[in-house]
Amino acid sequence: MPSNISNPSQETNRAALLATTRSDGARKFNQRRHLIDTGDLTRDEVSSIMATAETAKHIIARDKSPLNLLNDKVVANVFYENSTRTRSSFTLAAQTLGAQVINLDINTSSVTKGETIFDTASTLIAMGADALIQRHASSGAASQLSNAVPSYVSVVNAGDGWNAHPTQALLDLFTMQEICGNVEGRKLAIIGDVKHSRVARSNIRLLTNLGVDVHVCAPPPLMPEGLSEMGVTTHYELSPALERADFVMALRMQLERQQDGLITSLDDYRKIWRLDHARMKRAKSTVRLFHPGPINRGVELTSELADDPSISAIHLQVTNGIPVRMAVLLLLLNSEDSHR
Amino acid sequence: MTTGKILLRRGLIVPPHQPGKGTKKEFHRADVRIADGVIKEISEELAEASDETVIEANDLWITPGLIDIHTHLRDLNQAGKETIESGTRAAAAGGFTTVVSMANTDPPTDTPRIFSIIKDKIEETACIRVLPLAAVTLGLKGEQLTEMAQLAELGAIAFSDDGMPLHNLAVMARGLQFAKLLNKTIISHPEDHALSKKGCMHDSQYATKLGLEGIPSVSESACVAREIEVVRAVGGRLHFAHVSTCEAIQLIKRAKEDGLSVTAEVSPHHITLADEDIRDFDTRFKMNPPLRSKRDQNQLVEALKEGIFDAIATDHAPHTKQEKAQAFASAPFGIIGLETAFSVVYQRLVKEEHLTINELIYLLTSGPASVIGLPDPALVAGSRADIAVIDPKRDWTYQTTKGFSKSSNSPYDGVMLSAKVVATIANGKIVYQDRL
Repeated sequence: MPSNISNPSQETNRAALLATTRSDGARKFNQRRHLIDTGDLTRDEVSSIMATAETAKHIIARDKSPLNLLNDKVVANVFYENSTRTRSSFTLAAQTLGAQVINLDINTSSVTKGETIFDTASTLIAMGADALIQRHASSGAASQLSNAVPSYVSVVNAGDGWNAHPTQALLDLFTMQEICGNVEGRKLAIIGDVKHSRVARSNIRLLTNLGVDVHVCAPPPLMPEGLSEMGVTTHYELSPALERADFVMALRMQLERQQDGLITSLDDYRKIWRLDHARMKRAKSTVRLFHPGPINRGVELTSELADDPSISAIHLQVTNGIPVRMAVLLLLLNSEDSHR
Repeated sequence: MTTGKILLRRGLIVPPHQPGKGTKKEFHRADVRIADGVIKEISEELAEASDETVIEANDLWITPGLIDIHTHLRDLNQAGKETIESGTRAAAAGGFTTVVSMANTDPPTDTPRIFSIIKDKIEETACIRVLPLAAVTLGLKGEQLTEMAQLAELGAIAFSDDGMPLHNLAVMARGLQFAKLLNKTIISHPEDHALSKKGCMHDSQYATKLGLEGIPSVSESACVAREIEVVRAVGGRLHFAHVSTCEAIQLIKRAKEDGLSVTAEVSPHHITLADEDIRDFDTRFKMNPPLRSKRDQNQLVEALKEGIFDAIATDHAPHTKQEKAQAFASAPFGIIGLETAFSVVYQRLVKEEHLTINELIYLLTSGPASVIGLPDPALVAGSRADIAVIDPKRDWTYQTTKGFSKSSNSPYDGVMLSAKVVATIANGKIVYQDRL
């Protein structure tokens, strides 16, 4: 079917999506202006994001043509760290909503000449950017940027240091809900380098608020201080963490951790913590495996496990990233009933 | 700046009392006459001479000028952060009449030549007494000792590589031996860099929540433990700067009980703030050692009451706005503290009734003097006219924009404080005066 403005099904799709932006939770999230992390999102805000994402997913499953909902908006991807999936996912999400997308290539931009994140942001705002999607190696960079931008600009955190990666956590929740409906009371085991993981932190903050029983398993030097204060159960051994889990989330184990002496070796890590079919038997028979990517095949999980469609939800996570990011952008930027 | 003769009238003189001795609060009302840089007379009532500047100090506290043994005055290649001129003006506004300036300048104060340049700058621009330290090792690299004998002769008050720990214990041992020969103290910055790594705040649930790398307590305490053993072995006087952990307190307490020449200081911020106060990645709360747990904070106050600490010292560490505007992990460590030190510790220690004002004054005068071997700065006729005048009833809001330091990296900016230094007399001159 050719896509154009007068496409009647596109009209219906737009109306359906816009309808999801009128709930109390959606309005509350819209007034927030920024998405920095998941910890202080209320249940109704989370529900509104999930509802919009669900509608978006149905629409793009049938028709990927632009929806002309954010035609007057410019979205800038500002990635100070390498990213393949998150950046592409945000780009597709913004374009599907009709927004124009600027992709700042950090390696060739003036950032390498020492420009600060605030100066870079000002330049993009001067070009008309309505939203800045920022990834930065320093924890707090998104929060600091959101405090510095003018009131008509939204900041979406696409990852800041070890601190937060809210859209990843939201797409993980969306995927879990797609699999099991309500996540309350379900057990999630997060396995691996939790200390350096913003994905783990954002998931812990989001999912503990929703009543998920979050367990964490990490080698002792990679287990952050005081994690139990965040409402999770901690383990050094894999078996009790996996026991009757509904979801298992493996994290990327980098060679760098061995070089820093935080693990004895990748082989030792494999011996104790690598996920495989045999070890996954401790979990529920319906268990699904998550991974934020990119995966290190054979290190944190076996190739067989990663590629087993009956267990692995990794591709589903990636697919769901687009409707979830569409929901975040639409809810933050849509000005239908805000005063911006 | 007023010079010449001064009469301080009807003030309440606050004699310093060493904490932990169970002494009672003590004041006595007196007039103080100052001329030629010295205290001429202290008596219940003195007649005003015609050529005297009179300060009506009715019900104000008169204390010896405060002494800060941990000040980073920067200057030289870091004049953008602070200069000896601006730093001593800030010190004067805080009631300090003596500051010990740290040797981690740029370039480091590690040769007689640099030391002399700094001395000349002090001579030309400081409004209060500045006693510069010299580095223990060349380039603060922890390898080769500086020319300590010549530096001591030029006036180095003590030796320190502050900012950098002496990882090589053999260097620490030899440094202590030479310092002992020269009757000087070595000031240690106790930290194990391998344990601190790239940490930028205390290693706790709060670091985990913010996704920041932690500096564990053992990074300080392990270093304190092994340096104490070096003192036990070779003697010498070792002073621990900015102690921040419960574990280090216990080690220092035991070393003192064992009769070792070990002393220690605590900073105003470590007894008033904690890791949980770090909000929204605010780099004004980033310093080294980091703000520890609430439990550590309370134990530091207990240790002050017990008399384990010899001094309160600011660790005044100016950094420019631009430097502090970086991400939390990349911003430099340190906060300024000279202008707020007295009010901050007064509120925490005296108002909350942990110490008497006399004990607090000891920790800001006689205590620090003894650490670096200065004579006791008592207010008696014939002594150097270094005096702070404090209004105990004056509540005020600190604003860096109205301050004297060139930098504004303070967590107390905009905070309401109680009791204020209203006049400072250094070497017989009024170097700071607020409305009285």
